[in-house]
Amino acid sequence: MSLYLSDTYSPMFLKARRTFLKNTFFTTALMVMPKSELFGAVSLLETISLIQEDLFGSIKELGINSSSYLSLILHHSRVADDEKEFLRNGVQWLNEEAILHYKHPYIKLSSSQRQNILQIISKQRWGDNWIYTMLTYIVEATLSDPIYGANRDGAGWKWLEHIPGLPQPKEPYL
Amino acid sequence: MIYDICIIGSGAGGAPIAYELSNAGFNVVVLEKGKDYKEEDFNKDELAVCRREIFTPPLKEEQHVINERDADGSITRYEGRKYNWNFWNGSMVGGSSNLMSGFFHRMKPNDFKLKSVYGEIDGANVVDWPISYEDLEPYYTKVEKIVGVSGKIVKHRFLEPRSTSDFPYPALAVNGATQWFDEACKSLAYKSIPTPRAILPLNALGRQGCSYSNFCGSYGCATGAKGSARAALLQRCSATIITEAFVYRLESDDKKVTKAHYYDKNRVSHVVDAKIFVVAAQAIESSRLLLNSKNKFFPNGLANNSGQVGKNLIFSAGGVGSGRFTFESLTQKQQKELMQAGLFFNRSLQDWYEYDENGKKYKGGTIDFLFEHANIISRATKEFYDENGKLIWGEKLSDKIRKNLTTSRVLTFEVFNDWLPSDYCFVSVDDKLKDKFDMPVGAINLYGHPHDIKVGAHLANKAVKVLQKMGASDISMSISSSPPPNLVAGGCRFARDPKTSVLDANCKAHELQNLYVTDASFMPTGGSVPYTWTIYANSFRVAEHLLNRLSKSVC
Repeated sequence: MSLYLSDTYSPMFLKARRTFLKNTFFTTALMVMPKSELFGAVSLLETISLIQEDLFGSIKELGINSSSYLSLILHHSRVADDEKEFLRNGVQWLNEEAILHYKHPYIKLSSSQRQNILQIISKQRWGDNWIYTMLTYIVEATLSDPIYGANRDGAGWKWLEHIPGLPQPKEPYL
Repeated sequence: MIYDICIIGSGAGGAPIAYELSNAGFNVVVLEKGKDYKEEDFNKDELAVCRREIFTPPLKEEQHVINERDADGSITRYEGRKYNWNFWNGSMVGGSSNLMSGFFHRMKPNDFKLKSVYGEIDGANVVDWPISYEDLEPYYTKVEKIVGVSGKIVKHRFLEPRSTSDFPYPALAVNGATQWFDEACKSLAYKSIPTPRAILPLNALGRQGCSYSNFCGSYGCATGAKGSARAALLQRCSATIITEAFVYRLESDDKKVTKAHYYDKNRVSHVVDAKIFVVAAQAIESSRLLLNSKNKFFPNGLANNSGQVGKNLIFSAGGVGSGRFTFESLTQKQQKELMQAGLFFNRSLQDWYEYDENGKKYKGGTIDFLFEHANIISRATKEFYDENGKLIWGEKLSDKIRKNLTTSRVLTFEVFNDWLPSDYCFVSVDDKLKDKFDMPVGAINLYGHPHDIKVGAHLANKAVKVLQKMGASDISMSISSSPPPNLVAGGCRFARDPKTSVLDANCKAHELQNLYVTDASFMPTGGSVPYTWTIYANSFRVAEHLLNRLSKSVC
């Protein structure tokens, strides 16, 4: 029997699932364990927000709500589960690198130390992929239709002098 | 109820038959897997349409398996869901024709006799078509009028014979930079051709003209100007269209198809009876349906006692390239011309549709030039690497995105040449994976003949010369055997010999009296142009055959 019977993805189910995942993702702390030793818990939301600003500072100047957009992505049925897991694992691995090099999680490091960690992981295959993926979703947030709430007042579009195609969506799909 | 005709799939291969037969008074039902959309449902939401791909099935519900054959003969298996690789194009009324760019070129007379004119090629199953260009010409003309093709005929060496002097609709408005292209071609002694488009430049045929929204390919058309099978045909006929109807099996006896079985969106199974069944579910899915419809009369799949169903799958070979025009090298007037939004570029070259090299005659192809798609997210993501191929971020990335997207524009080209059919490129059904309907998924067995790359590179080098002459920078090209998922054909080739083909010259299955396949599956070779115009024309041709057949009531 297929798992995808018609009522599996009813609106009510989706709403409940979104709420559940949103709560679990952003309220559950990640356990960072370099060299298999429990080091401590770090806040995922705080780390994600800081990483996004470190990767693309323009989001702060433009008022782009990139963290909130990433939350949407992490709960969207059209984004592969593997990708969601990779995004989450990447935060953990980044923190493990931070602790290995500076004995503190990413959010406790100075700006130059954080950039150094990003440079270090970018030389590893997973790190290069992970930064690329994070940048992709940051750019999606910055340049998506304002109806999604991240690109407020079309600030990202104005930044690039972009003329949107018409008609624009009346309802968000995400 | 017994319908006169049951059509599976509502795209360019099925819609002309629905249009012609229902308008002639026959009782036609179309079973479409996707939903119905109207002009007012379409918008330019890049996130939804191009990045979350709302018009194709989620891969966790329906996927493909891709078995790629490497140069050493080894096969690598890719499960589409894991690798985010699929060949879906548009599950909706009108199919992928809703989302096409509508670059419409006719095939040339020699495309119908590739083997006779250019000879055999080792490792390729090149054949002549059972019909000629002259047989199809009236239907190409019919598509120009009914679907709506705009353009301007320019005489050139490979212009195909036409029964009318020009297109019925004038060419779309073009960007000022098109003049730079024309001048460059003139100095290179190349013939610049205005690209014909299946887009109405003005209100006609009960549809609105183009609004020049600057977003065309990949998006549904909100004005109806684009000649989709939905806007041009299905919305203008009385055929019954049942949406969200996935046909999972055709039932038959030894002579005829008797029923189509489909699941609705609640996975409740239904049955449709008809005198004639037409399969037009897109090349890969049509072969998959026949292979999944095996029974005691056809143990290898419907109409497949010859073992030919799924064989000789083809794509469009070739590749892409691009060059950038930067403000630094342009006058203010040129900068303004370059950045005019909404207007098309619409230029093609066919000077090398056939060419000689080292005393040997080669079948070449078509090069279309167009501006890089206006999608802002995809354009920004192309800037993530520096000139050394290193990933960048922070201020360096922001500055690069802003500079390149506000003070330059990229002109791209697409090369179309024959993807040679071979024994190694075919559709089968996977023996492990099933879709959400519990049916074996389609397996695409991929192989690109080395000859295709040689021809593609020859053409791309010509396109590069034009970009150089125009003064572009950052010129690049990529010719490979990667198959474009939206340019797929073959799998049920038509021919006179039932041992080496699935369909006869009318696209009727050799082995069954009332089964037709009319999407791109019938094509034994693809020509060196995008397929949609030929699919439309052939479907109108088969529609005329069916009209004659039903009028004589020989079913």
